[in-house]
Amino acid sequence: MTPRNPLDLRKFVAPEFICGSGALQLAGRYAHNFGMKQVLLVTDPGVRAAGWAGAVGESLTEAGVSFTVFDSVSVNPRSRQVMSGMEVYRSEECNGIVAVGGGSAMDCAKGIGIASSNMRDILTFEGVDRVPVPAPPLICIPTTAGSSADVSQFAIITDEERKRKIAIISKTLVPDISLLDPEPLTTMSRELTLDTGMDALCHAIEAYVSNASSPMTDMHALEAIRLIHDALPAVILEPEDLNLRFSTLLASLHAGLAFSNASLGAVHAMAHSLGGAYDLAHGRCNALLLEHVIPANYEAASEQYDRIGAIIGPVQGERTPPAEGIAAFRRSLGITGTLASVGVGEDAIQTLARRAYADPCMVTNPRRLTCEDIERIYAYAL
Amino acid sequence: MRFEPPDDRDMLREKIIGLGETSLHKSYYPELQSRLEELERFRALLDQTHDAIFLIRTETGKLADANASAGMYLGYSKEELLAMPFASLFSPQQKARLSEFIPESGDRPSDSRQTCITSLLSREGTEIPMEITVRSVTFGGEQYIVAIARDITDRIRTESELKIKESALESSTNGILIADLTGTVMYANPGFASMFGYEQKEAITGRNLEAFFADPTLGEKITGHLLDNRTIVDEMIGLRENGSPFHIQVSGSVVQNNARQPLCIMLIVMDITERILAEQMRRETYAQIEKNIEQFAVLGDHIRNPLQVIVGYAEMIDDPLVAKILDESCRIDGIVTELDRGWVESANVRQFLRKHGDGA
Repeated sequence: MTPRNPLDLRKFVAPEFICGSGALQLAGRYAHNFGMKQVLLVTDPGVRAAGWAGAVGESLTEAGVSFTVFDSVSVNPRSRQVMSGMEVYRSEECNGIVAVGGGSAMDCAKGIGIASSNMRDILTFEGVDRVPVPAPPLICIPTTAGSSADVSQFAIITDEERKRKIAIISKTLVPDISLLDPEPLTTMSRELTLDTGMDALCHAIEAYVSNASSPMTDMHALEAIRLIHDALPAVILEPEDLNLRFSTLLASLHAGLAFSNASLGAVHAMAHSLGGAYDLAHGRCNALLLEHVIPANYEAASEQYDRIGAIIGPVQGERTPPAEGIAAFRRSLGITGTLASVGVGEDAIQTLARRAYADPCMVTNPRRLTCEDIERIYAYAL
Repeated sequence: MRFEPPDDRDMLREKIIGLGETSLHKSYYPELQSRLEELERFRALLDQTHDAIFLIRTETGKLADANASAGMYLGYSKEELLAMPFASLFSPQQKARLSEFIPESGDRPSDSRQTCITSLLSREGTEIPMEITVRSVTFGGEQYIVAIARDITDRIRTESELKIKESALESSTNGILIADLTGTVMYANPGFASMFGYEQKEAITGRNLEAFFADPTLGEKITGHLLDNRTIVDEMIGLRENGSPFHIQVSGSVVQNNARQPLCIMLIVMDITERILAEQMRRETYAQIEKNIEQFAVLGDHIRNPLQVIVGYAEMIDDPLVAKILDESCRIDGIVTELDRGWVESANVRQFLRKHGDGA
């Protein structure tokens, strides 16, 4: 465990963000203010079909900003998708990017930005601080409440050839502005709401117990955990409620500010490894791993975990260990299953563990886990 | 996935926290500075070029930018230039020409590159001959015309000088031939074509020198001599297209570049047939005169000898006609003596003629 000292140097980077109803409609104004003349509007087919990309397009048009839509983005965005987006960006002579969608669209947009400004393959940026030239201006309009890609220094891209996810971590990836509008969240499915909500919870918990946490990130992480605990079960019952949707959006924002600066831990390192190999929904991977990582980390951050347990638990009025509280919360939301039920076999554990061990998120895990530790966690989660 | 050895994990953690050397928040300023420096370098390059470069707003016809050479040629500061319509840099006579290449305000100009020869008007009113290349470009959604003007004063002067030299070559009555170093003809002037009986001078180009001499080995000899000695002056027998020979005098030299390397050879050919024939006639005439005078000297002897016999015989006889015979014999001898004297004088005249008569 890395010892914590409140006087240790910490940095906090946050983008400009506007939150509230109608934030989406400010896309055109900000694109204009950033000097964008030809925008690459990065989205995905689902968000486009729901009309949110169109609404942003209208705002751009009203502001006199031309745009080209790029919606060849899948869940767990692929490096090839990023490079085709870069081709479109260059051929259309774009000078700015607006991303409308969940983590996939926003990570793809970040990838397109740095690949085009540096004229390099996206896979060459893997690691920390490997982006020499910042991306063009990026405006993010999240349509999910979980990835927090709109405020984070992370971009996770799938290397489809090697079936693995790469993490690109750089302060230059933090978008220029995030427009947080609760209305687009209303078209999310129940499953997507749950997966992204659990992703946000996981961001907050991992940031809070991270060995790179700080008082600033702790404040955001705890607020995120509180908001998710209160709002996520409620929004499942009332998905059209804009106030509840806004709470989940705020939770995601707080969690994003926390983890973008304190980074993450073993849950995300293991989820990246899983997602790359099995193309699983990222939030679902986190949800299935979180309660199994907590016991492995507990001794290294017991105070933090107990505080989390106090917010998430108690179960049926009784104080319970945080891992059990998390498991109960997950089950209460209807997220059941195990890694085995989503197709992970025991024979894959060694490879998954080796990849997770090398993931940069593992660096800020409160306890330095060995490959064998990670294998055991995967085995428990099967 | 990139594997970080455990020893590097602390460094990696520092970077993730944001405390690495390059863990910087997104800022366009360093990139902006780098681009500005790049622009400044590019600007310096543009300013150093001898061509005047103008950027004209298509919409208004006003100058949006100009390089340093533009101001230098025209005598305006950059600020003055940027306040002027491009058309004001042309004289009224040239403005009409300008509209062929640069359309009126608002009209979209052609995307293709166009070039015109015109002149720009300097602040002092001097017209500077320019070759202007114009092309339409679009920056940031706005249409511009880039005009690159090249001062062609020197070129026009050089072209004029070249034209004079070319005319001189073309109009020379002497035959002028330019051949490469292998003897292949590159140029023949009309004088040469006419002298050698060719209807068109183009029929000569590409042929070898050997085609123009009665002795076909002469072409190679001339080329070889010129490469060794740089010049040649000699009389030869030329060969017309119809195969008839004639006398020519050839003066040749090697044309060299500034590094004194041979580029080609040039021959100046004169038809000297008339001169050669005149010399021949003169030689024959002198020979005839010599022969005649010799015969004349013999004739004098032939007269004096019998005259001596007549005088001797007359002195021996007593006759009233003796005195008359002696007088007449003396008169004849005087005439012959006079002829002898004239012969001596004629020898001097012939000597003078040989010396000066043919100009040799």
